[in-house]
Amino acid sequence: MAAAGTEAPERGMERRGFLKAVGAGGAGAALAGCGADEVERLIPYVTAPEEITPGVATWYATVCGECPSACGVRVRTREGRAVMIEGNPDHPVSRGGLCSRGVSALQGLYNPDRVASPLRAAGDGFEPVSWDEAMEMVAQRLGGQGRALFLTGRKGPAEAELLNRFVEAVGGLRLILDPLDDVALRAAADVAFGVKALPRYDIAAARRLVSFGADFLETWVSPSGFSADFAALHGVDHGEKGRFVFVGPRLSLTGLNADEWIPARAGSEADVALALAGELVRSHGADAGPYSGLVEGRALAGAAQAAGVSEDRLAGLAELFAEGGVLALGPGLAGHHGAATAANLAVLVLNVAAGNLGRTLHVPAAPDSEAASPRRDVARAVEQMGAGGFDVAVVAGANPAYALPPATGFDAAFDRAPFKIAFASALDETAARANLVLPDAHALESWGDSEPAAGAYAVRQPVMRPVPLFDSRAMADVLIDAGRRLGHDLGAETARDFVRQAADARLDDLGVEGADRETRWRRVLRRGAAQASEAGAAGSGPATGGGTALRPPAMAVNFEAPALEGPGDLALLVHPSARFGDGTHANRPWLQELPDPVSKIMWHSWLEMHPATADRLGIGREGEVVRVASAHGALELPVWFHPGIREDAVAIPMGGGHDNYGRFANGHGVNPQRLLPDAEDPMSGARPVVSVRVEVTPTGAWRRLASTEGTRDVRHHQDERNIALAVALSSMGHGEGEDHADEDGHGQLEELQQGGGFVPVPTEGKAADFPLPGSDFGEYGEPQPRWAMAVDLDRCTGCSACVTACQAENNIPWVEEREVLNGREMHWLRVERYYETVDASGGGTLDVRFLPMMCQHCNNAPCEPVCPVFAAYHTPDGLNAQAYNRCVGTRYCANNCPYKVRVFNWYRYASENIPEPMNWQFNPDVTVRDNGVMEKCTFCVQRIRDAGNRAALEGREVRDGEVRTACQSVCGSDAITFGNVKDSESTVAAMAADERAYRVLDALINTQPAVHYLKKAVFHEVDEGAH
Amino acid sequence: MTTAELRQQRGALPNPDVVRYSDVNRDVLKTLSRPGLGWWTLFGLAVGGVGVFFAAWFWQIYKGIGVSGLNAPVGWGVYITTFVFWVGIAHSGTLISAILFLFRAPWRQSIYRASEAMTVFAVMTAGLFPLIHVGRVWHAYWLIPYPNDRFLWPNFRSPLVWDVFAVTTYFTVSAVFFYLGTIPDLAAARDHARGLRRKFYKLISLGWRGTDREWHHFSKAYIYLAALATPLVLSVHSVVSWDFAMSIVPGWHTTIFAPYFVAGAIFSGVAMVITLAVPMRKYFGLEKYLTVKHFEAMAKLCLLTASIVLYAYLTEYFLAWYSGEPPERGSFWNRVFGHYWWANWIMLTCNGLVPLMLWFKRVRRSIAALFVISIFINIGMWFERFVIIVTSLSHEYEPWAWGLYRPSVVEMGILLGSFAWFGFWFLLFTRLLPPVAIAEMKEVVPPPMRSARPPDAVARA
Repeated sequence: MAAAGTEAPERGMERRGFLKAVGAGGAGAALAGCGADEVERLIPYVTAPEEITPGVATWYATVCGECPSACGVRVRTREGRAVMIEGNPDHPVSRGGLCSRGVSALQGLYNPDRVASPLRAAGDGFEPVSWDEAMEMVAQRLGGQGRALFLTGRKGPAEAELLNRFVEAVGGLRLILDPLDDVALRAAADVAFGVKALPRYDIAAARRLVSFGADFLETWVSPSGFSADFAALHGVDHGEKGRFVFVGPRLSLTGLNADEWIPARAGSEADVALALAGELVRSHGADAGPYSGLVEGRALAGAAQAAGVSEDRLAGLAELFAEGGVLALGPGLAGHHGAATAANLAVLVLNVAAGNLGRTLHVPAAPDSEAASPRRDVARAVEQMGAGGFDVAVVAGANPAYALPPATGFDAAFDRAPFKIAFASALDETAARANLVLPDAHALESWGDSEPAAGAYAVRQPVMRPVPLFDSRAMADVLIDAGRRLGHDLGAETARDFVRQAADARLDDLGVEGADRETRWRRVLRRGAAQASEAGAAGSGPATGGGTALRPPAMAVNFEAPALEGPGDLALLVHPSARFGDGTHANRPWLQELPDPVSKIMWHSWLEMHPATADRLGIGREGEVVRVASAHGALELPVWFHPGIREDAVAIPMGGGHDNYGRFANGHGVNPQRLLPDAEDPMSGARPVVSVRVEVTPTGAWRRLASTEGTRDVRHHQDERNIALAVALSSMGHGEGEDHADEDGHGQLEELQQGGGFVPVPTEGKAADFPLPGSDFGEYGEPQPRWAMAVDLDRCTGCSACVTACQAENNIPWVEEREVLNGREMHWLRVERYYETVDASGGGTLDVRFLPMMCQHCNNAPCEPVCPVFAAYHTPDGLNAQAYNRCVGTRYCANNCPYKVRVFNWYRYASENIPEPMNWQFNPDVTVRDNGVMEKCTFCVQRIRDAGNRAALEGREVRDGEVRTACQSVCGSDAITFGNVKDSESTVAAMAADERAYRVLDALINTQPAVHYLKKAVFHEVDEGAH
Repeated sequence: MTTAELRQQRGALPNPDVVRYSDVNRDVLKTLSRPGLGWWTLFGLAVGGVGVFFAAWFWQIYKGIGVSGLNAPVGWGVYITTFVFWVGIAHSGTLISAILFLFRAPWRQSIYRASEAMTVFAVMTAGLFPLIHVGRVWHAYWLIPYPNDRFLWPNFRSPLVWDVFAVTTYFTVSAVFFYLGTIPDLAAARDHARGLRRKFYKLISLGWRGTDREWHHFSKAYIYLAALATPLVLSVHSVVSWDFAMSIVPGWHTTIFAPYFVAGAIFSGVAMVITLAVPMRKYFGLEKYLTVKHFEAMAKLCLLTASIVLYAYLTEYFLAWYSGEPPERGSFWNRVFGHYWWANWIMLTCNGLVPLMLWFKRVRRSIAALFVISIFINIGMWFERFVIIVTSLSHEYEPWAWGLYRPSVVEMGILLGSFAWFGFWFLLFTRLLPPVAIAEMKEVVPPPMRSARPPDAVARA
C-alpha cells in the first residue's frame, strides 16, 4: 500500500499534465488572449483565433496559383491547415470548376521537396543560410550597375507591377517565360485587330464550335472556364445541342469530346480556315474585310489536299459554317508550328467572316501586360548571359533549364552568369544551378491578385500560415525587403499592403461598390472575386474596345506552314500535358498517378502512335520501347496505340523526364523538348512544338504500360457490355409516355422469376425504392433519405479533375508506378474512356465516351451479403458503407462487385508512401486506412453527415444541393449531381427520371444502383440494341 | 461360408503370402521401426519446406498481403486455388473410409488408413489458407460466431462463414473418425513396441484390450461415425463451391458447381491417394497388402469422376454459349482463348483427356502408369481451381476493369511449402501410426483356429 501511495501522486500529475495539454488546444481556440505563443504553436493560422473552432472547417475564397488561368477556388482549412481545394462558384470565369492541377496545389504546398531554408551554393551542393545572410547577398549583388536579368513566369497584376518596379529600380531586364502562353494568338490578334491581347471567346454564346487544335478543355487559356462554357454549348438541352468539330492531326482530350473529327495534317490549319472563309465569302456573301480578296482565291479542294482529308469533309464543315453561329478556336498550343501566327490569323479571319466578332469573339481594348517574351528576346538574353553580359540572373516562377529545348544552350549560358538567384519552391533543374536559392512561398501562403476577365478582379489571399517546416517567404516580400536594403521604395511595406493598394485602386476603377474600402475589401476577400458594376465597366471601356473590324495586315503574311525539318517520315507533335502542363506540376504524386485523360497512362511518358503506323514500322504490341530521333536528339520511350492520331504523326506529351525536381518527378518519363530545335515562328517569336520529323525505330525492348485501361485484348470497346451508353439526338423526345419505368428490365425479370420458384423482387427497381420492400432494417424505422447521384455523360469531358478531388478529400494514398503495374491503384473514382467510332484516315463521326465510375451504392449491393463480418453493409439512408475497422480483408466483396470499384490496401500505403508533411493534407474527417482493408467511394459520407448535423442544429431538413461531393465540387461542366432521390423535388430525382437516364448493368444483374447515368446525346444514329 | 470367403467374394483381397494374423502385424508394424536414410531425407526436405512456408507467411503478415501477386480485379489467386485444392484432396479419405465402408466395399481396407490420414493432413493444410489469404489475419477470428460485448456476429449469409463451419466440422469429424479407427491398431503397436514408444502408444490407444465388449462398442461407434461423415463428403465441397457459385461473377455463378466440385474433389483425392500409396507401398514393402486390384479399383473411381468432371466442363461451355449474355460468354471465351489459355488447356488435358486412358485395363493394372496419371490429375485439378478463380475474376462485367495476375515468389513459396507441411505430417504418420489398418486386414485373413494349421504349414507338411 505504501508503494502504491507514493506512486499515486505521480500518476495523478501525469494525468493532470495530459489534461493540461489537451485543454490548451481547446482553450487556444476559445480564448484569444490566453498564451498567444502556445496557441500559435498548437493551431497555426492566419486568422484571428476566434474564427477557428477545432473540428469545424474554415473556408477561404482565394485564387489558384497553379497556372496563369487563376481560377477561383475555395480552400477548406481545418485547425489552420489547408486540407481541400474546390472550385469557387462565385468566380466569374471558372464558375466552380477546377482542374486536377488546381487541386494538386495542396501537394505543392506540402511538398516534401520544398526548399526548407535559403540555400547558398557550396561545393557540389548547397548549404543553408539565414534569411538575413541571404538578403544581404541579394542586396549586395543587385546593387550593381543594373546588369541583372530577370526570368520570371507570368504573374498576377499586382505581383507583376511590383516585379516591374523592382526591375526598373535595380536596373535590369525582365523576360517572361511561359511555354504555355499562346504567343502566336496574341500576335495574330495584333495583326488582325491591332491589339496585342488574347481575344476572349464566348463559347457559351456560340451555337456550334470548331477547334483547329486548341485544347481548351486541358491547358489552353482557361480550361475550367471553357469547360463550363462548353457544357452550356454542347450539353443537350431540350433535345438540342451544339455540334463540336475538331480539326487537327491528333485527338487531345478536347478532341475526344468532338462530334466530328477532321484529321487535318499538322500545319494545314491556315489552308482549311482560309478556304472555309473563302467559301463563306464566295457562296454566302460574308465579309472578310481586307482579307476578302485573299480568301476568295482559296478553294476547298486545295485545302483538302493540304490537310490530307477528303474535300467532302471540308464541304460539310463549310455547310456548318453557312448555317451560322459557328465559333472557331485557333490552333492553340499543340498546333504551334513555324507559321503559327499566320494560322491563328487565318482562324481569326474565319471568325470574322462567320460574323463572330463582337458576338462570340471579343477583342480586349488594352494589350495584355503579362505576355511571354518572344523567343528571339530570350535567345538574345541567353547569348548575352553566356557572354558575361549580366552580373546577376534571377529566376522566379520559371524553369528554363527544363522547359527550353537544350538546343537553346541555356544551361551553359546560365552557368556562365556570375551570380544566379532562384526564387523556387522546390529545387528544380534551374534552381539547382543557382548560387542562391530563396524558398518561395506557395500561392496558398501568399498574397496576390488576378484579372480573370475584362471587368473582373480577384484577390489571392493566404489560407494558412506558411508551412513551418519550410522557412519560405513570398517573392513579393523578398523584393520589398531587397528594395528597402537597396534604398528603393516600392510603394508598400509588405506584399499584403501592396496587394491591398492595388486592389483598392482596381476596385475603384471597376466601380465596385461598398460602404467603405475596408468593407469592400473584406467582401471581395470573402467572396473571392468582384465584377465591375455597369458604371465601372463603362468607365474602363467596353470589353470589346479593341477591334471591331479586321485591319489590313501591315506586312505580307505567308500562310504556308514551313516544311518540318528532319530526316524521318513522321511528324512529331509535342503537346502540353493535361496533368503537368509544361512540366511544372510533375512533382505531385496525385498528378503522376492520375491516369492521363487520353492515354490513361501514369508515371511515365509514351509515344502516341496510330496502330496502322505501328504495323508499318513492325511494332507488334503496345509497350514496345522505341527510339525516337530527330536532328536534335533522341529519346527512348514505350509506344501507346492511339486510334485518334494521324498515321503520319506521332506525339509525346510535355512534362516528363525531370532529373532534378524532387522525388516524385525525377526519372519519370522523358522530356520531348530534347527533340526540338531552337526555332521560332518569325511573326510572333512563338516557339514551335510542331517543327520536326522523327525517325522511330524499335529497340526490341518492351515495358508494361502503367495504364488503368483493362480492355487490352479487345481494344477500346465495351465488348457488348452496355457500360457507357449514347442516344441519338434524333430519337430523343419520343420516348416519353412509353414504358420508361421498365428500362432496366425488371418486368422481364419478374416474369422470369414467376416461372420458377423465386420470390419476385416486389419493386420496379426505382432508385427511390429503398429500403427494398420486405427487407428487414431492424430499428431503422424512421423515414430516411436515399442518397443518389446523377452523372451526365453528355456533359462529362473526361478531364479527371474529379479523380484528384476525390483523392484529396478522402485521404486516398498513391501507390507509385510499381504498384500501378501490379494493378493496385487506389482511386475510388476512375474515368473510363471507350472508343466507339474513331477514324484517323477518313475522319467523320467521332464517338468517344467517358464514364466516371465510382461505387454505385446499389440497393441490391452484391458486395454486402458476401462479407463474412458485415464490414460491407447498408446504412438506413441507402449508403453502401464499409466499416474499415471491421474488415478482415477477404476481398470477397471486390470479387463480387460487378463495377470493380472496390480497392484494397495491399500495403500500408497511407503511412509508408506519404512523406511528412504531405500527410498534413489529410482530411481529419476521414479515416486513414491501414494495411489489409477494403475501401471504396463513400459518396463523401463525411459531407453528408456534416450537412445533416448542420441541418439538425438549425432544426430543418437537409436542403437539396446542400451536400456536394468532392468530385462534384470541382466539376467544371457540372456533370455530377448529388442529392436525395426520394425527394421528388430534388434535382437528382429529376435527372433520374430523365429519358436519358440509365443504370449501368442494372438490366442484367438487378443491382439497382444509386448512380444514374444520363446517356451521351450524339448526332449520329446509335444501334439501340448494342449500345 | 466363412466371413473371409464372403468378403473375398465381394472383392476382398487376401494375398496368398499373408496367411496369419501375425504376418499382418509383422508387415505393418515393421513400418514403425527405425527409419532409414530415405525417410530422413524426405523428412529433412519437408522440415525445410515448412520453414519456407512459415517464413513466407510471416513475411507477408509483416509487409502486407501486397507481397502476393494479387490485385484488382484478381483478389483471389494461388491461395484460394490451393485452399480448394487441399480441401478437394481431403475428400477421398472420408469417401474411401466412410462411404465405401457403408457400401461394404471391402477393397478399401488396405488403403483407407493412409487416405484418412491424408484427409486429416490435407484439411490441416487447407485450413491455413484462408488465414494466409486474408488481409488482416489477426482479426480472422471474427468469422467465428463467439459471444461478445458488442453483440457482433458474423454474417450468416456469407458463404465464407459457411465455409468456416463446413471446414471445421469436416476436420473435427474426420479427425475423430481417423483416430477412432486407429485405436485397435495403436494397441497392436503398443504390444509390439518397447520403452518410450510403448508408453506413447499406451497412452493414445486408450487402454484398448480387444475384448468383445470393446469390439462391440467400437464397431457401433465406427458405423455411426461413418454415417455422420458420409454427408460431409458431399457438404464440404458443396459449400466450398458455393464460395463461388453464390457470387455473381461470370464463370462462378452457376448451379452446376456443387456436384461438379464434389466429383472433382473425389477425383483429385483418389489421385492423391494413388500418388502417395505407390511410393509408400514400395518403400515399406507393402505390396502384399496394397495389391494391383486395389489400384485398379481406385483407377475405376478416377475414371468415373473424371467423366463427371469432363461432362461438367462441357456443360459450362455450352451453358455459357446458351445464356446469350455477353459477360458469361466473354468469360468462357477468355478462359479458352484469352491470356490464361494455357492454364485451361492444362486443365482439360490433365483432367479430361489423360484419364481416358483408364478405360484400358492394362493401364489400370499398371502401377507405374497409374502413378504417372495420378500426378497429371493432381496438376490438372490444381489448375482447374486456378482457371475457375483467376480467369473468371480477370474478365468480369466491366471491360475497363479487366486485369491480369501473376503469382509472386511468396505465393509460390507458400504453395510449395504447403506440400512440405502436408508431407511433414504424412511422413510422421508413416512412422508413428500403422499405415495399413491391421485389424481390418485381419478380417480377410483366415482366422486362427486352434484345430486348423496354417495353410503353409499344411503345404510344408
